[in-house]
Amino acid sequence: MELVVALGLIVFKVALLIAILLLLPLPLTWLERKIAGHVQQRMGPMRVGWHGLLQPVADGVKLLTKEDHIPAEADRFLFKLAPILALAPPFVVFVAVPFGESVSVLGTEITLYVSNMNVALLFVFAVIGIEVYGVIFGGWAANSKYAVLGSLRTCAQMISYEIPMGFAVIGVVMLAQSMSLLDIVRAQANVWNIVYQPVGFFVFFVAGLAESQRIPFDLAEAEGDLGAGFHTEYSGIRFAFFMVSEYAIMLLTSVLAVILFFGGWNGVLVPLPPLVWFVLKVAFFVYVFIWFRFTFPRYRYDQLMAIGWKVLLPLSMANIIITGVAFL
Amino acid sequence: MSRTLDRIGTWIGWAFFADLANGLALTFGYMFSKSVTMQYPDKEKWLPYSRYRGHHFLKRDEEGEIKCVACELCARICPCYCIEVIPYEDEKGNRRPAKFEIDMARCLFCGLCEDACPADAIALGQQYEFSSFSSRDLVIGRDDLLGKPGKAMTGGGVVAARLNTEQDVLVETSEPQGYNWWRNIRRT
Ligand code: SF4
Ligand code: SF4
Repeated sequence: MELVVALGLIVFKVALLIAILLLLPLPLTWLERKIAGHVQQRMGPMRVGWHGLLQPVADGVKLLTKEDHIPAEADRFLFKLAPILALAPPFVVFVAVPFGESVSVLGTEITLYVSNMNVALLFVFAVIGIEVYGVIFGGWAANSKYAVLGSLRTCAQMISYEIPMGFAVIGVVMLAQSMSLLDIVRAQANVWNIVYQPVGFFVFFVAGLAESQRIPFDLAEAEGDLGAGFHTEYSGIRFAFFMVSEYAIMLLTSVLAVILFFGGWNGVLVPLPPLVWFVLKVAFFVYVFIWFRFTFPRYRYDQLMAIGWKVLLPLSMANIIITGVAFL
Repeated sequence: MSRTLDRIGTWIGWAFFADLANGLALTFGYMFSKSVTMQYPDKEKWLPYSRYRGHHFLKRDEEGEIKCVACELCARICPCYCIEVIPYEDEKGNRRPAKFEIDMARCLFCGLCEDACPADAIALGQQYEFSSFSSRDLVIGRDDLLGKPGKAMTGGGVVAARLNTEQDVLVETSEPQGYNWWRNIRRT
């Protein structure tokens, strides 16, 4: 009986997680277009539903009814595999991400995470690394110049930025003495890591922007010079897969920033429920992502590499050394 | 000395991303400023100033008689040769146009016909919504021109978009003439 309940709970949590992650891009696209509009003194979508609230649904229907086109020269197997490879890892990663301690429903304690891995951080970075295969396969299989250029850029960009990103979080791991995200949040109960690790946060955030391929580092799909980059040849539902994946990664980066540097669900001053604090912080970071997108221009490719290797990497190294010295 | 200090200040600013922060602050400010766009086909539309040169209309005199005396001066002066006037003599012995056609597809809205007219019979109004799928539909005859809305006395403002401007309805805004549209663009 115990086992059945526990299993049922896990299945329920996973289903809920998948549902949330699949549905969240809908309001996020709306928000993104709305913010874009207002930043540019427009109104954004207004026609479908109240203030365009149903616009994402209309877009979704449009994407679903579009022709699913595969270029004649494409590698059909990889072409079909790529969107799935791009979509799955961001979903899998959320298994290791905690959203709070626990809530009690009907007298039973329900933990707000699917699993409490002791190497959660490692798991997150390992799995999110797979996502790049989706992008690379997608660009390569389409047999198009733009797409292959986009995916080559992504390849280099992902590798260059995963290193400083990994180094940036080492400071956090040193402070919490654990790689479990739960322990990391618990260690920040009094003082958030951002106080001790501002440089680490900076490196993490910039690398996160690059990892989720948002402006100013969206070279993989630089619509100005590459058509649409790696997903130039994709249409319909497969394109939607890439979109959902992009939003899931944006969300993941925000969640990680909150967990690693901004105290997770620990609140300050205002006593709100922990989950509310968590959601508010994540929403703030998602907003910052969108805000950045409509403020900054895209970096040139060589600048991108220079920032990654000449600025972020030394900074993250120095951060580790200084943290280590202070720790001793 | 102060230039050196300025330069040092700029360098310190760069080190702490003051320039990026400036940009962010600017876009953040714009996000809460008023939108300058109109929800044109749905809700509101722009009513041009009264000197705007839109669709032509023919005027009537006090007796309801068409003012045009079919002198063909407008047809002469028109740089695009898009007006065709054929005169006739009506019961009272006045010269009137039997046919008065303007090819709106060719018209360049210079307003010369309005200036040339000795009888003050033709003018360019504020109507600008007369696109059509066929350029043949853009040849407008005498009776249609008589039915077009005339000039509104006010202009330069936002009005409801779904008014029936096909008829003689004049759309007037409550905005005073000389309404400063640019005021909306920058929040200062
Ligand atoms: S506005 Fe100019 S182009 Fe148009 S009909 Fe009059 S004279 Fe001709
Ligand atoms: S509209 Fe004026 S210029 Fe043209 S034919 Fe009539 S009276 Fe003459």
